[in-house]
Amino acid sequence: MACPRYEEAIHELVDGTLGPIRRSELQIHLDQCADCRALLRDLERLRDLAGTLDRPIPPNRVWMQIAGQLQQEGRLQAPAPPPARTRHRTLLLAIAAAVVLTVGASLVYLLPRARPAGQAPDLAQTTAAPAPGNAAASGSVQGDIEAEFRQAEQHYQAAITKLEEAAKSDQNAIDPGTAAMLQKNLQVIDQAIAESRAAFRSEPTSAPARDSLFEALKRKVSLLQDTLALMNEMRKGNAEGAAQIVNGANKG
Amino acid sequence: MNGRQRDDRLAPSKLAVQASAVRSAAPASREEDRALIDRCRQGDAAAFEQLYRAHAGKLFSLTCRMVGHTPEAEDLLQDIFLVAHRKLDSFRGESALGTWLYRLASNLCLDYLRSRAARTGQVTDSLDDDEPWIPDASSRNLAERTVSKMDLDRAIAQLPAGCRAAFVLHDVEGLEHGEVAEVLGIAEGTSKSQVHKARIRLRALLAGR
Repeated sequence: MACPRYEEAIHELVDGTLGPIRRSELQIHLDQCADCRALLRDLERLRDLAGTLDRPIPPNRVWMQIAGQLQQEGRLQAPAPPPARTRHRTLLLAIAAAVVLTVGASLVYLLPRARPAGQAPDLAQTTAAPAPGNAAASGSVQGDIEAEFRQAEQHYQAAITKLEEAAKSDQNAIDPGTAAMLQKNLQVIDQAIAESRAAFRSEPTSAPARDSLFEALKRKVSLLQDTLALMNEMRKGNAEGAAQIVNGANKG
Repeated sequence: MNGRQRDDRLAPSKLAVQASAVRSAAPASREEDRALIDRCRQGDAAAFEQLYRAHAGKLFSLTCRMVGHTPEAEDLLQDIFLVAHRKLDSFRGESALGTWLYRLASNLCLDYLRSRAARTGQVTDSLDDDEPWIPDASSRNLAERTVSKMDLDRAIAQLPAGCRAAFVLHDVEGLEHGEVAEVLGIAEGTSKSQVHKARIRLRALLAGR
């Protein structure tokens, strides 16, 4: 175990902030103390390794959500009309941002975490067994909740339709191989949506079935957003950015 | 921001891991920060996107290491920039823009962790344990072990939130102790002791795997 008297000095030596006099004193001690030498070596390794840790890159949708929210609050002014050749790109991004807002808003009443205080209770809670003698009222509540859920699903579908239209409008921006890979991923997600929807319809009060369907719909929205982001990168000629999107979509 | 330079390139792409590299480009000057903030205050969307692209990478690194690589980290990143835009008028340029953003980010992360601790029934006034840390005298040192980046990231996740924040800001993100102190609202000496505590704990965690 390292000597407590010198531990702070060892940390400061690692930080590069140890003064010359204390450094000399520490060096004399290090020549004689294997435990302190081991501590210094380990702390230097930790420092070096910490400085090279990977930095995760936030998904593009985070910026789109931020921009959409601030525009909705009126805090961001719409940019000046772009030149014709970039107008399409701006339109794609605006569609994607609007879609994200639409989808997010539709979930407010159905996701407990996002629900403000005093709002309708969690679907899972209200789908519990109704109080005796209160079947009619419970049925009415259940009907309201299912109606809200159908509305939320419609919002998702509307968002997906918009994104698909935007993606199809500029298919030539993506090379055929990448387009085929994206199409294959979409088919897998569509299959998951169909299965989740069937499970939810057979068990409309099941929270896991509902969550599974929403998760699949979210995945589709996310993939379509990435497709639009990829088109933007291809248009800008940013091969590195495009490659990262493709790699991420292939893993997703 | 002084100290070791981090690679701040931010490619607008799906979540991917970008290997960090020491970069020689200088951070924006205070004048550049003020000019950018002025444009943001006027609602200039392109200016705010520029601000986002310049800082989102390191702030996302902080949020991921504070709350985990989860959707909550993305939500927190979103909240950081929404709060930043709403509080632009309070930025007076006394500190660097990056420091100001780091302060927002660390406050939101720590608030989130307190809220999560309260929801899971953890009763604590502080996110740091108050028990004195006494390293095991028989712990093997790191020289005998291979330690990967993933090992270190896992060990960082096990640190108490307070010293985790200080360690991530200082050793991972390269801030000086004075900057860490400003970000976390603590004394510089406290920043040093928190980082030192984190290192000793990490050494023990990694040696004891």
